[in-house]
Amino acid sequence: MSDASAEPAATRRRKPPPIRTDWVSKTLAGLLLGFSLSIIASGLLMTRLGDMPLPVSGQLAMWLVPPVWLGVLSLVYFFGSGLRAWAWLLGANAVALGVWWLLQQGSAA
Amino acid sequence: MRADHIRNYKSVHTWTGIVSGMALFIAFYAGALTVFKEPLRHWSTPPAAVVQSVPMDEVQPLIAKTLATTPATGRGAVLKLEGDRAIPRLEWQVRDAGADDHDESASRHYSAMLAADGSVQVSEQRPSRLVEFIDVLHRVVGLPVDSDSNRWIMGVIAGLYFVALVSGLVVLLPTLVKDFFALRVGRNLKRMWLDAHNVVGIVSLPFHIVMALSSVVFAYHDQIYGLQDKVVHQGQWAQAFGRPQGKPAEAPARDPADMLMPSRLVQLAREAAPGFEPSGLQYTQVTGPRPMVRVWGKNPEAISPRAMGGFAAFDPYSGKLLSADYLSGAQSTPNLFISSFFALHMASFGGTAVLWLYFLLGLAGAWLFYSGNLLWVETRRKAQRKGSDMPTQRRDTVVMAAATVGVCIGCVAGISLTLAAAKWLPGRVDDMAAWHVGIYYAVFFACIAWAFARGAGRAAVSLLWLAVACTLAIPVSSLLGWLLPGSGSWMDGALLGVDLTALAGALALAWMARATARRVRNGSKDSVWSVPPARAEAGHRASPQA
Repeated sequence: MSDASAEPAATRRRKPPPIRTDWVSKTLAGLLLGFSLSIIASGLLMTRLGDMPLPVSGQLAMWLVPPVWLGVLSLVYFFGSGLRAWAWLLGANAVALGVWWLLQQGSAA
Repeated sequence: MRADHIRNYKSVHTWTGIVSGMALFIAFYAGALTVFKEPLRHWSTPPAAVVQSVPMDEVQPLIAKTLATTPATGRGAVLKLEGDRAIPRLEWQVRDAGADDHDESASRHYSAMLAADGSVQVSEQRPSRLVEFIDVLHRVVGLPVDSDSNRWIMGVIAGLYFVALVSGLVVLLPTLVKDFFALRVGRNLKRMWLDAHNVVGIVSLPFHIVMALSSVVFAYHDQIYGLQDKVVHQGQWAQAFGRPQGKPAEAPARDPADMLMPSRLVQLAREAAPGFEPSGLQYTQVTGPRPMVRVWGKNPEAISPRAMGGFAAFDPYSGKLLSADYLSGAQSTPNLFISSFFALHMASFGGTAVLWLYFLLGLAGAWLFYSGNLLWVETRRKAQRKGSDMPTQRRDTVVMAAATVGVCIGCVAGISLTLAAAKWLPGRVDDMAAWHVGIYYAVFFACIAWAFARGAGRAAVSLLWLAVACTLAIPVSSLLGWLLPGSGSWMDGALLGVDLTALAGALALAWMARATARRVRNGSKDSVWSVPPARAEAGHRASPQA
């Protein structure tokens, strides 16, 4: 589809490190860490929907899971290597978890 | 975008696509037909089984007597409405113990009518379940039963489908402006198929994203809810849906004869949501502590939360509105937002024009997966070099080509023949539901076997003609019912649309069969689609259509 000649000349001269395919580790990172991130994201959403009755807000939180999960899974192959995918996604999970914890403290106080 | 990203995403697109393609073909073809579930249900119901409607309040004695004397109706008994009239028949289902929640085939169907002497006559129904079977094929990608394990498989397919969509978009994006609307018809057949695959994929991308994400929800919502209840809702979710168990002693003794008349319930629902047109009443637990009647219906001005419409829930004795959460046209914004996901999947908004749009988008989707598989095969073709011998094609391309042809055309032919059979089975066989399933899978597996036995090229032509014959059998069965009233078949003038659509489908398949035959005879020889003329003739003699 897109061949190397379509790339700007500058990119070719800089010679970025080749992207490792790392199919197994990237896919696992997307599946597992994408899923945990989606559940944390639904927790974050729930802290914003406190005024709504649970049967409604719970449904919205459930519907948020597949787009986040599959979004992460389908974009995970952009990472330079499997290791980078795990590191970045673990970091994203940790940050999201921290924000969630803070918001819960805020709403409890 | 870097070239190696494109290359990697091309691999992702190839492998997710090739694994999920054939299952998705079945899901989309059967799904396109499921859009017209109700017309197909009427088309396949024999005239003898049609009950004439009466003014709706005349049905009240049947409702009251049946609900008072038949505890099995507690889970939900349905009265169908037609405008201001009702079908004087109450219907309910009894699920086999231990059967899956979504598995409707494990239910026994009962109906009650009032005999001339005023007594309730309960009988077990043996519905053909034809449209439900096509819906099951759609819901679990061609598997026979909508069970937990089959929904797991469907969920995996839907996940792969989403990744295939995103990766296909990534591959196409850098050249989108150049390639979009560039349908290069010409000598390079593969280029033309790729252009067409890209155009159909991009144009219907929003539709496909909605379908992929909602299908994953339909597959895994129970598991996601369960996990979220533990880690997000701290167990409150299960409590919100666990019904408070009123002790039987506390519940006042209720006599269903005291319930409001159907016309009053219908009036209440219309007042709750202007424009709402009721189509049925569903009574649950009317002698228990939480009596409820759901007034189901559609509102052409609004979206419907479910394929069969929306409902207002009332207390059938006091007329108190218990819930408008699912009432089309009267939903709160968050409920409307959630319902829109269902409506966008099930085409339950915007009326007939949207139904036809979804029908066409469904067929286009099926073609997208079929063409994807063909492109996979063509990309791996070993070209014949000038002057050298004919190369032997890779075994995996030969197998994939045969599987694609057998599964896809087998699905089309099988559904067509089992639809046509609806006009001949009533009165002739006892278990129509089993016959419909059997006919479909017999044709489906025979087509796959034929494709592998004959090879993709030769089989494609004969299988397409078989699909033409099976699809043509739909209008021909109706026509025979009109010409020969004693045949057992019948024709319904109000449902000619079904027969005409099948006729158009048969003509389209015939065009494909002729085009494929030309390709098989005259196309380039270094292809799994090619059959040299001498062998082609032998193939034609062996095929049943020649």
